[in-house]
Amino acid sequence: MKRAAFFVGLVVFAWLVWDTSADPARLARGIPWIFDFLRRMMPPDFRVLPSVLAGAVTTVEIALLGTTVAAALALPLGFLSARNVAGRAVFYPARALLNFFRSVDTLVYALVFVAAVGLGPFPGVLAVIAYTTTSLAKLYSEAIEGIERGPVDAITATGATRLQVLRFGVLPQVLPLFLSYVLYRLETNIRAATILGFVGAGGIGFYLQTYLRMIDYPAASTTLLVTVVMVMLVDAASSRLRAKLI
Amino acid sequence: MIEVAGLRVTFPPDVVAVDGVDLTVQPGEFVVVLGRSGSGKTTLLRSLNRLVEPTAGVIRVAGRTVTGAGPAELRVIRRQIGMIFQQFNLVRRASVLDNVLAGRLGFIPPLPSLLGRFPPSDHALALECLAQVGLAHLAARRADTLSGGEQQRVAIARALAQQPAVILADEPTASLDPALTTEIMDILRRINVERGLTLVVSQHQLETALAYATRVVGVRRGRVSFDGPPAAVTPAAVEAIYEGGVPR
Repeated sequence: MKRAAFFVGLVVFAWLVWDTSADPARLARGIPWIFDFLRRMMPPDFRVLPSVLAGAVTTVEIALLGTTVAAALALPLGFLSARNVAGRAVFYPARALLNFFRSVDTLVYALVFVAAVGLGPFPGVLAVIAYTTTSLAKLYSEAIEGIERGPVDAITATGATRLQVLRFGVLPQVLPLFLSYVLYRLETNIRAATILGFVGAGGIGFYLQTYLRMIDYPAASTTLLVTVVMVMLVDAASSRLRAKLI
Repeated sequence: MIEVAGLRVTFPPDVVAVDGVDLTVQPGEFVVVLGRSGSGKTTLLRSLNRLVEPTAGVIRVAGRTVTGAGPAELRVIRRQIGMIFQQFNLVRRASVLDNVLAGRLGFIPPLPSLLGRFPPSDHALALECLAQVGLAHLAARRADTLSGGEQQRVAIARALAQQPAVILADEPTASLDPALTTEIMDILRRINVERGLTLVVSQHQLETALAYATRVVGVRRGRVSFDGPPAAVTPAAVEAIYEGGVPR
């Protein structure tokens, strides 16, 4: 049985290598070109810094606004798709809806919204909202399903309404988790937002794509450096905040 | 104060937890429901405020019919019944005062309460209830920073904040060591004597039951197997309650 599984795995692996034309020798031959690419990016052209920085600010803004709105929209959805809060009639459709919308990435949503509302940061914000709402709702619902039953019983026993039970028995248990998930999504959304510009949805990705197309590698390398610094700064700030929550 | 007639509780698929209980509790009684783990004590207590839904039978508490009450009526009934749990069931991340204030939820308008605001009179009452269990100085602390005995006292204060007619305590000392058991049971007795509150407390410890109860109700396999004053708990009665050895 084990041997058969191993053999099947080997065959699948071989087929994958063949079908993707994966070829280590070809990579080896290409390595000099990577160095050539890097050499042509040096030195970075810092004359483009002002516009690149403006792009970076837009990217952070897209991620911040999108994540904030999504964090709020995901709240009702999260409760509705938690097994221990919603009835079966609500839970199953809500979960199916979440899984459906979550199966498409932010970049694909950006394409749709650029077509719908035109170029600029706004379709980027919409794309971040569309993906993040459903992915946060899923994380929220899992946090809600993991709560302690005891405090919920105790609040129920005081004569509280269902909403009061959620507010005073459930929410205090899950809120720190929710905030930590939101910060985590903010970090990933900064990364996602850097490439939204590639499809015309605003931010620093627009500059990166433009400079690469114009074969202006020194300007592109400035853009990459700014991106790396921006992502690292947001990550550091966010993980500090998260450490305080837990 | 409490009238139970023909109470049956079954859990799917076919577990009979309470199997035909009739019980009347007079105002001011300190009833200890005695039985080993799994005898149905907890289910009996939890069905009195319908944290567990009875399968059959009629329950009346403080003049209102619990069984068959609609949601609004049930909330009015529940706020007259304070409940204390084995695991304290405090909201760990909330402050001690906020935990006690939760006892007022049944009395304030639901929508404004969702913002977490309570009237000043409720704050005063909550502090007073904390003072009665000797913990007013810990009001601002987070609940999970307190010891087990202190947490159970906070839970008692939360029940008192409801200004209830009845207090149900489900194995309130089973998670505590013997010294704290005495402390908690003493507080419950004081509530019973000074406020004249009706208490129904489940216990698996015989000595504790006999020391505090004005009436002992033995439960075995979901049925009442003994009902009488502590003085009437003879070795034969103990046998009827525990069917075999007395658990420690």
